[in-house]
Amino acid sequence: MDVVLASLEPLIRALREGGHTVVGPTVRDGVIRFAELSSAADLPAGWRDEQEPGRYRLHASSGPAEVFGFAASPDSVKRYTHPPRSSLFRWIEDTAVETPVEAPRLALLGVRACDLAAIAVQDRVFLGGRHPDEAYRARREALFLIAVTCSTPGGTCFCASMGSGPRATTGFDVALTELADGFLAEPGTARGRDLLAALPHRPATEDDREAAERIESTAAARMGRRVDLDGIRERLVEQRESPLWDEIASRCLMCASCTMVCPTCFCVTTEDADDERFERWDSCFTLGFTELGGEPVRSSGGARYRQWLTHKFSTWVDQFGTYGCVGCGRCVTWCPAGIDLTEELRAVTEEAGTRDVTTQGTEASATVSTALERLR
Amino acid sequence: MKKLAVWKFASCDGCQLTLLDCEDELLTVAARIEIAHFAEASSVSSPGPYDLSLVEGSISTPEDRERIRHVRRISKHLVTIGACATAGGIQALRETPALLPVVYARPGYIATLDRATPVSAHVPVDFELRGCPIDKRQLLEVIAAFLAGRRPVIPTHSVCVECKARGNPCVLVAHGTPCLGPVTQAGCGALCPAFNRGCFGCFGPMETPNPAALKITVESPWYTERSESAG
Amino acid sequence: MVHRTIRVGGLTRVEGEGALLVRARDGRVNDLQLRIYEPPRFFEALLRGRAFTEPPDITARICGICPVAYQMSACQALESICGVTVDGPLRDLRLLLYYGEWIESHALHIYLLHAPDFLGYPSGIAMARDHRAVVERGLALKKAGNDLVAAVGGRAIHPVNVRLGGFHRLPDLRGLSERLEHALTLALETVDWVSGFDFPDVEHDYRFLALTHPDEYAILSGDLPGFPVDEWPLHITEEQVPHSTALHSRLDGRRGYLTGPLARYNLNFAKLSPRAREAASALGPVCLNPYKSIVVRAIETVHACDESLRILDRYKPPDAPTVPVEPRPGVGHGASEAPRGTLLHRYRIDDDGLIAEADIVPPTAQNQARIEDDLRVLVEPRLGLPVPELTALCERAIRNHDPCISCSAHFLELCLEQ
Ligand code: SF4
Ligand code: SF4
Ligand code: SF4
Repeated sequence: MDVVLASLEPLIRALREGGHTVVGPTVRDGVIRFAELSSAADLPAGWRDEQEPGRYRLHASSGPAEVFGFAASPDSVKRYTHPPRSSLFRWIEDTAVETPVEAPRLALLGVRACDLAAIAVQDRVFLGGRHPDEAYRARREALFLIAVTCSTPGGTCFCASMGSGPRATTGFDVALTELADGFLAEPGTARGRDLLAALPHRPATEDDREAAERIESTAAARMGRRVDLDGIRERLVEQRESPLWDEIASRCLMCASCTMVCPTCFCVTTEDADDERFERWDSCFTLGFTELGGEPVRSSGGARYRQWLTHKFSTWVDQFGTYGCVGCGRCVTWCPAGIDLTEELRAVTEEAGTRDVTTQGTEASATVSTALERLR
Repeated sequence: MKKLAVWKFASCDGCQLTLLDCEDELLTVAARIEIAHFAEASSVSSPGPYDLSLVEGSISTPEDRERIRHVRRISKHLVTIGACATAGGIQALRETPALLPVVYARPGYIATLDRATPVSAHVPVDFELRGCPIDKRQLLEVIAAFLAGRRPVIPTHSVCVECKARGNPCVLVAHGTPCLGPVTQAGCGALCPAFNRGCFGCFGPMETPNPAALKITVESPWYTERSESAG
Repeated sequence: MVHRTIRVGGLTRVEGEGALLVRARDGRVNDLQLRIYEPPRFFEALLRGRAFTEPPDITARICGICPVAYQMSACQALESICGVTVDGPLRDLRLLLYYGEWIESHALHIYLLHAPDFLGYPSGIAMARDHRAVVERGLALKKAGNDLVAAVGGRAIHPVNVRLGGFHRLPDLRGLSERLEHALTLALETVDWVSGFDFPDVEHDYRFLALTHPDEYAILSGDLPGFPVDEWPLHITEEQVPHSTALHSRLDGRRGYLTGPLARYNLNFAKLSPRAREAASALGPVCLNPYKSIVVRAIETVHACDESLRILDRYKPPDAPTVPVEPRPGVGHGASEAPRGTLLHRYRIDDDGLIAEADIVPPTAQNQARIEDDLRVLVEPRLGLPVPELTALCERAIRNHDPCISCSAHFLELCLEQ
């Protein structure tokens, strides 16, 4: 039963009173990012983001003070489901004592369709195999998810072509769509329904539903980017030897920012401090990560970029039965060098000859050497 | 018990102070390894050879060049601590002898090498710990690894990895602030971006630095416009 | 007439290493030189031509023990050129940062470097074998200071948050008050502990230099005795001496004045915080015994904890972490009280906003001549002592002044010729 909420304040209050920490988007340090909300006033009403490869800016909007008029935040839900660093065990005398899992009851308000798709991917990765990750399961089960339809996709978004957005269809407790005079709220679970029933609301009308659909279709048409998935798995694998990989690497910083912000990338390593062992995020872009017997397996930058892109759009499917990319565009926005995965994917998989690789290479290295000269 | 020595060359003392700044661990460390020579902290020095020498500071005088050779001879393992010892440090910015008359009215008194040089330019070094100053967790890891007879586990990837893990918004992408994080080795926990400033590279270059790519970013036209709420 | 040359391995438990040369003939000291061989690091010269915003980060690297002092003196000198004053909560944050450095540095010196002299140990670590709880108290106190520096500045050594006009980001100060309450207790215990030491019965007729301020036990700003900060180059002059890479300072043409805890205490006693003054009641308002500087450091630590708590209590975050600072051509001066004494900076900014001149006078350089005078008085009547004993006495006398030799010196050796 869908309803319309005039304000989000009662929702936030009810969740807090129900023992949840409510986490949602707020303006901090020049970005819209997730943090604890104490009231609806903490939400970024009237703020818009502008996202391009390697660039993010916030602006106060001149139009109506839309609460969710922005796209993906720099942080994804991964921070909560698969935290950057967590303790595994501690040596006490000679025994390893497992660290109890911390799984606080979190209500995530304002997650997007791509975030939910990413959680679904993570579920397969962490819970699908023969060795489910119980810590992930505990954290995952402690989440209450309130989705929001994207009305204003970012310049780097391409969820429409990945089939994961802009409107959430599954995987949420409650889904909101921001209307001119309130929020259309649909329950996705029984507890979502109970929550909505307890809040002040009016029943949704056919007009409200049509308005929501219009928002969805306008957003889908306004995606900043797209990818062509047709035959992509095979096309990528065929390009193993493409000279473009090294050309991309000449522009790539190998800083691993893309994999850190990616909501599905799950690589970790372990580290010890005192008598405690931790698991922490790592990345296929770091040399250490590919080390086997003291030597990196993928020592060239080209090989590492190839591994990443091929995994996302080809071998991930072999492993987990889905793509490893949900089209949130974070890796494109937050790459300090502005490398655009949709662009690189197109270049690499386009038929040989449509892009003159040799010239591309020379042009790029010309820019690089000019830059180096100026740097000196 | 194995013997530890701490040596100082041209430096600010900050890196060796890091050892004394391990307030919670200092006495435990002292119980596991004999601090045999540490002039800043102890007036007795038991004679070498030493199992592990930590060397702070760059080499910039003829006497120091001799002294570091001596330290190498009496040390089984030699680890440089900090940017000075590892890369020459801040004083490597100088170009002597042209600068000499500026500070000292009568340059004749002061003997210096032409440049402040890293320890590895003079003697073989077993491990180089980065940072200005070094990070105390990493220092403890180096000592623990040495005692266990293994290589220290010190990541060599970029500061960005730590920056993202810490949850900082990228100052380069979001604020247009120049940041050397993508080409700098991690270890500090992405301290500067956490304080809304760009990294200035005090841990030295990361494993595969690509400064040319960073230069292109920094020169892009939108780079200097600031976000309205960047603060 | 006897001639003898004895060399004793480096001077220890100071922040750095040093040497002392004593030439004596027929029971009289003819020449006494505290030798300083710190490899010169040329900071003043390498600053030239750099942006006017850079000195706080660069000069911090002169000393890892008191980087905040360098940052504060540099900021204030440069801000004075640009016509900017940092006050209110931003000044409070600077004070907090600086008190953190005092607590850390004083605790380090008291517990790990100086107290072992009174109790007959070669080091704080050796002392811990018999007095573990005491050393742990010192380490806890030191840690509280470091935590304060790290909270405001980002990290304990070479903080990254300081900039001209204030800070890069407003710090998160939650939880600090509880820690400082505890530190205050530890600091009060420290005063009691060090007051019970046996002190040699010596007093010197010192000439003191320290900042004084109408309302504060000066640390960040004030006047120098008899002249304002921006006239310091007229009164404090430096000369190069052949035996040292550090320059020697003169105050109004005369060598041998003292800066540091004793100077501050004697000049500013009345401005100590209430708790600190109470803790100082046994020592009284005048202290001319350099060995008792350990008590003064402990009292200053109480003051630093007490004042920090007061600041934390009144602090309201300002709207912005910094006030804007635009470059202007001109000359400016800055002085602040490093744990070891007055740290003087002077800069000239050129028309392009670049540093054209930089002058830095660290406290140890200022004290060097005075330390030599202390040593002369000590050594002359004791020339007959066995050399190891004499060396130990000299080292102790030097450590009274907590010389941060990295500001100026390294690798000294004691050489006695008689
Ligand atoms: S590397 Fe930095 S902190 Fe370490 S001694 Fe050198 S200047 Fe000091
Ligand atoms: S702020 Fe700097 S270190 Fe952090 S992610 Fe951006 S470029 Fe990397
Ligand atoms: S962010 Fe960069 S400059 Fe800052 S502390 Fe870390 S490595 Fe050093």
